[in-house]
Amino acid sequence: MSKKIQPKRNSKKIFTVILILAVVAVILGVQWYLQSSRSLSQGVSSRAKGTPGAAIHIVEYIDFECPACATGAKKLKEYVAMYPEKIYLEMRYYPLLNIHPHALHAARYAQCAAQQGKFWPLHDLLIERQGQWQSLINADPVFMQMAQEVSLDMNSLEVCLQDEKTVKLILEERDKGSSLGVQSTPTYFINEKMVVGVKSLTDMLQPLLENGQNK
Amino acid sequence: MDKINNFGVIARILLGTIFVVSGAEKLLSPYQNFLYVIQNYQLIGPPLDEWVARIFPWIEFLLGLFCLLGLWLTRSLEGILVIVTVFIGVVGQALIRGLPIDECGCFGSLVSLPLQGVIIVDSCLWLLTSWLLFPGAKASRFSLDEYFSKNS
Repeated sequence: MSKKIQPKRNSKKIFTVILILAVVAVILGVQWYLQSSRSLSQGVSSRAKGTPGAAIHIVEYIDFECPACATGAKKLKEYVAMYPEKIYLEMRYYPLLNIHPHALHAARYAQCAAQQGKFWPLHDLLIERQGQWQSLINADPVFMQMAQEVSLDMNSLEVCLQDEKTVKLILEERDKGSSLGVQSTPTYFINEKMVVGVKSLTDMLQPLLENGQNK
Repeated sequence: MDKINNFGVIARILLGTIFVVSGAEKLLSPYQNFLYVIQNYQLIGPPLDEWVARIFPWIEFLLGLFCLLGLWLTRSLEGILVIVTVFIGVVGQALIRGLPIDECGCFGSLVSLPLQGVIIVDSCLWLLTSWLLFPGAKASRFSLDEYFSKNS
C-alpha cells in the first residue's frame, strides 16, 4: 500500500516544484522586462530648482491636493534651502483625479505659472494653503487670488487656463508617471531610485545629504 | 445537487483568481508602492516592512494559483484563511486607531476601496474560505489534487 502511494505523492511534489519554478521564472522575467523599459525622461527646467548636475537628483510626482504631498513638498523646500548645491529637484504632475476634485485644476494654475516663470512661488502658496482650498466646492477664487499674489499676468493666465494643451501636458505627465510604476502620491525618484511617501523620502535622503554621497 | 457541487468549484476558482490577480499586480509594479501601503498601517517598521513588501505578494500569488488549480488545496485554503484573518486584523486596527488611510491598497491600483468596504469584502472572503475547507463544499472537484489521486 505504502509503495503505491509513494510514487503518487512524488509525482505531485515534482509537479509542484516545476510549477513554482516556472511561475517564478516567468514573473522575474516580466519584472526584469518592465524594469528595463522604465526610464525617467528629461525634465522641464521651469519646474526645477537647485543645482543642475548636483549629486542628488530628485524627481517628485505630486498631487497638489494630497496632504502627504504638502508635507513632502515642505520637507524638500527645507532641504533645497539647506543644501542648494547638493540637490537638483524637478516637480512633475500626478493628479489623482478619482479622489481629489481640485487636483487637476490646481495643476493647471501651476503649469500656467510655470509658463510665466513663476512656478515655484505659486507652487509654494498652493502647498501652504492647501487646507484652505481643498474642502471648497469651487476653489477658483482662491487660486485666482494666489495668482495675483505672485504677480501673474492675469490675461495670459486666462488664455493658458482655457488652453487644452495645458491639461493635455499634465495628463501626459501623469501617464508617463504611471508607466514608471507610480500609483500614489507623493512618489519620488532619488537618483532614479523610486521611493513612495514622505517617510521613505526622508529615510533615503537624510543619509545622502549628511554623508555627502555622490551618484 | 450538481449545481451545489459546482458552486464549490466556482467559488474556489473565484477565490484563487482574486489572490492571483492581486498578487500579480503587486509583483509587477515596483515594490515601493506596496511598502507605502504597509507603512500607512503603522504596524511594522524597517527592515521588516521592506521584507514583507517584497515577499508577501509572492505568497499571495502562489496561494491563489494553488487554490485556482486545486493543488494542495487544503493547505492553500488554510494559508488563504490565515492571510485573510491577518488582513481583517490589520484593517480593523487601522479603523479603531482612526489612521488617515483613504483606500486600503490591498488590490494594488486595480480596485480602490475604503477601509470599511475592505472589512466587508475580507469578511466575505473569510466565510467563503472557511466554507471551502469543509468536505461538503466539494471544492476539490476538477482540481489537480483530484487528477493526481486518480491517475497515479
